[in-house]
This record gives sequence, C-alpha cells and structure tokens, in this order.
Amino acid sequence: MTEADVRTPVRSAHPDLELAAARARRNVLRMFESTPAGHLGGAMSAIDIVTALYGRVLRIDPANPHDPARDRFLLSAGHKAMCQYAVLADRGFFDASILDTYGRLDTPLGGHPDMHKLTGVEANTGALGHGLAIAAGIAMGARMQGLPTRVWTLLGDGELPEGSNWEAAAIAAHHGLDGLTAIVDVNGMQISGTTAEVMDMEPIVDKLVAFGWEVQEVDGHDLDELVPALQARSDRPRAIVAHTIKGLGVRSVQGTVAAHYWKPTPEELGRAVADADADVASLSEVLA
Amino acid sequence: MTTLHDPRTTFGAAVTALAEQDERIVVLSADSGKSSGFGDFRARHPERYVETGIAEHGATGVAAGLATTGLKPVFCAIAAFVTCRSFEAFRNDVGYMRQDVKVVGRNGGFTYSDLGPTHHSLEDYAIIGTIPGVVVLAPLDAGQIVDASAAMLEHEGPVYMRIGASPLGDLVPRGSFEIGRAYPLRSGEAMTVVTTGYIAAEVVAAVDALREEGIEIDLIGMPTVSPLDAAAVLESVRRTGHVVTVEEHYPTGGLGARVAEVVAAEAAGRVDIVAVPHVHIGYGPYAELLAKHGLDAAGLTTRLRALHEAAPPDA
Repeated sequence: MTEADVRTPVRSAHPDLELAAARARRNVLRMFESTPAGHLGGAMSAIDIVTALYGRVLRIDPANPHDPARDRFLLSAGHKAMCQYAVLADRGFFDASILDTYGRLDTPLGGHPDMHKLTGVEANTGALGHGLAIAAGIAMGARMQGLPTRVWTLLGDGELPEGSNWEAAAIAAHHGLDGLTAIVDVNGMQISGTTAEVMDMEPIVDKLVAFGWEVQEVDGHDLDELVPALQARSDRPRAIVAHTIKGLGVRSVQGTVAAHYWKPTPEELGRAVADADADVASLSEVLA
Repeated sequence: MTTLHDPRTTFGAAVTALAEQDERIVVLSADSGKSSGFGDFRARHPERYVETGIAEHGATGVAAGLATTGLKPVFCAIAAFVTCRSFEAFRNDVGYMRQDVKVVGRNGGFTYSDLGPTHHSLEDYAIIGTIPGVVVLAPLDAGQIVDASAAMLEHEGPVYMRIGASPLGDLVPRGSFEIGRAYPLRSGEAMTVVTTGYIAAEVVAAVDALREEGIEIDLIGMPTVSPLDAAAVLESVRRTGHVVTVEEHYPTGGLGARVAEVVAAEAAGRVDIVAVPHVHIGYGPYAELLAKHGLDAAGLTTRLRALHEAAPPDA
C-alpha cells in the first residue's frame, strides 16, 4: 500500500458502494471520536465486504428488520463490531447520532455486538468461533421451514484456530447447507503478530475444500470481485477467502499489527478523519 | 409395587408426543439421539432430526441458530458433555442470546457410574445455573420427566434439564408441573429436607424410615433448581428451624448452596448440605457408589437422623 493507493477515485463498477464504504470508514472514525480506542484493524479490513453485502446482496429492509424471511448477516469476528455499526447506520437501521455514544455508559454500541440492543444485529458474538455454528443453524432452520433466507457470516483469519469453527464447518457440509456463505477476512494479522507467526492456518482454501465447501478467493477490497462472489450460490456451503489490508484507510497504521487495537492520539485521529472526509468528498464529487 | 421407567426413553417419548402437536420442535443429536430416547422421533420426523456427530459445542451453536428462526430445538446428550464441553456456546449463543433452546443432560450425576469421572456430571446445576435467565430443572420421578418436558417446551427461553439413567418410579401426582414451584412430598415439624432430581426416591425412603422412629420430616421436592422456590423453603424452615438439603451434585453451587443463600439472608435457621464429596468419584455400580457416599436410603437415614440429633432442640 502506497500513499498513491488511496480509496479514490472510483475504481469499480459500483461507485455508490465505494462511496458507502468511504462513509462507513468515516463512521468508524466517528466512533473513535466518541471513545478513542477500539478494534480498528479488522473493522477497516472488512468494511468493503460488509458494505457490499448490505448494499447489493442481503434481502433486508431497515423498515421491517425482523421479517422472518429476511437474509441474515452474522459477524462471527465480533470485535469488528464498529464495521457493522458503521454500515448499519449508513443503511438506515438506526440514527447515525447513536454512533456518538460508542464506548459510553449504557450505549447500544459495545465493543462486541448485542442483538437485543441494536436492530440489525443478528447474533451476540465476541467470543471467537461461534458465528459459523449459529449461521449453520439459521441456514438449516430456514430450509426446514421453506424460507428463502440465506445467511452470511464473516470470520477473521485469526479466529480460524478455534476448533468450534471446524465442528461447524463439518456440520454445514454434511447437511449440504447451500444457503450458508462464510467469508474469511484474511488480513494476515492478529493482536500478537502476523497470523503466520502466531498460528499459521494456511492453506486456508485447501482446508475448507477438504471439509467439503466450495471456496473462492477474492481481493476483499475489489467490489467488482466481491459482489458476484457474495451473491453466488452453490449446492453446498460456500466460503469466500477474502484477502484484505488491516486497518485500510487509516494511513498511519494500515497494513500493520498496530492497527489491530488502535488508541490514536488526538493528532493521529484528526489526520485520519481529514483523510476520510477527503475520500468521501472526492467520491461524492465524482458521483454528483 | 410402582412400575419403573427408564428416564431416557420416558423423556424421548414425551418429546416425541409433544412434537406431534408442535411442528416447531426439532431434535438435535450429537451421536446421542438413540440413547436419549429419540429413535421413534427420528423415524417419525426425519426432517426435524438433526445429527451433528460428536460435536456438542457445534450442536449447541446450531441449536441457537435454529431457535433464531422460530424453531424450538431440543438437544439431549450426556450431561457432562452438554454442560462442560459446550459451556461457552450455552452461555453465549443460548443464554446471552436468550434463545428458546432446551438442553437436556442425561446420565446425570454419577449414574454413568463405572464409566468414571469423565462421564459424571456433578457440577451441572452450578455451572449452568450461573448463566442469567437459564432455568435449571431436575425432575423427581418418571412422571415428572413427562410433565417437565411439556413445561420446558411451553416456557419461552433457555432451559437445562438433568435426567438420570436408573429406572424410576413415581413420587408425585402427574399433570401439575410448574417451573419454579416446590412439591411437598411429606409433612412434619422435626426438620425440613429439600431435595432435587431422581435421588428423591432415596430421600423419600429415608424420610419414611425416620417417620417410623417418630422423626417427622417436612420433605420438599424441588425439581426446579433455578429459579429456586425460596418462599416454600422459608415457609418450612421458619416452622422447623433446620433444613438439610440432599442432592447428587457437588456441594459447591448446587441446590444446597442456593437454599443456604436464601435461609442465611433471612437468618431463618440452620442449614446442612448433604451432597457428593468434592472429589473425582471412582468406578463402580451406581447403587454401590450411592451407598459408598452415604446417598442411598440407608445412608441417608443414618445421616438425617444424626443431623436431627445434632441440631439444638430450640433451633
């Protein structure tokens, strides 16, 4: 990632999604303006994926968020919560002013999401290795009841050593849960270092294939690749292994382990906000 | 002579009968369905029977996901595995997410006797009882397994129920089960005894033997371990001044600990906890393990008599 490789100008056939992702990145920083500490890295690496899901893929309606036939998105990597909050706010699930309560007493926006506190959240994740089994249950329950519901869940690559993921992966494949898609956000870093150093789970694609999944690798920041990959359906569960950049958009820390849990100085935060505002402004101009 | 019933087949048949009326009921098996009495359910409702293989954590998460779609999942397997192995899924996916999942631990306590401590479940009331909003049940007899199964499926929210393995008779009248309600089994003023789960049969025998000696015990069956029917305990202890709890569970965090909390807070009387010693129980036939640890009818008769005699007369 170089200085020139910023989020603008428009790079894909989905300029509205690019702008939505830029606004979501700005929303993440808005939460840091409320409380300047949080899991920046994973939120920013996953934001293009989650924006694509909410913008093009999920059959959801913020005006009818509990429709039994809706599609579901579960953030298995619950510490990327700011990503989901940022996108839900942008999609109109709640008033964006709630972003200013992040980290405050009795906020609905915790460090990990709570489905009973915030409309649009579908599972209480945070402990890693839980989302895939819950998502498998949703896919199974929808199929049993003849509902059109599909379910997507996003895992971090640092989450893969949790054995419960592999129990769920086996169950999903055995039951042919074609309504289930797992996205692995491979940003290659976790709190103690690179995933290769801490616990190397490569080859991730081969492991998932061996468990009976259909697997596709994509650039997790390329909306032209992401949108069709997330929409595609198979006769068995699908996994999308998305290669991403930790903390993308915050140029002082992006691509580094330091982005994982970020405690910016006021100056660092101010620079990041200015960059994000500039990205939103220039994309808005292009789209005007 | 009371007819004896296998608790697992009793439970499985009860859920299978309920499922005829409620198509939201689905059953999960971690290679455990047949031993949980679900052979018939599987044959009748294969589309509502989910096999996960030996993966209790995964099964519990899948159950939570199923429940979010409006179904009523029932997951039954060996008690130690559905509580200890899958505790985090129970705590977060079922408890914290407040999902309508029913988890049933069979072969509870040390009824898996000779299979040893890996298969014993002597901490389930304690650990599952720590999860906010989870009801913990331990039916007293065979009929109550049927009634409690209906009550837990009617209840909206997470439930854990422990059943045993040894054949059970009947102690309480059928058809009156209510979550959170105590069941008076014998009345008396000498002291109060509170018990839970299938060991109630041994306790009733001991209490009846002491009645022959003139020691009339107020015996309360407590098939809901959590939330405890505190009012029933206090009403009795305020009359007798002394309560003894009996359970096939470690002393820590079980029925006795809960009764002690309630009685101590009100300074209502003396509490003695009769439970399984806090050690890894060894191997042996179930009846002999019960006797070794003083939890069979004969051992309980001796202990309850001694505790009655040890209590100050004005207690």
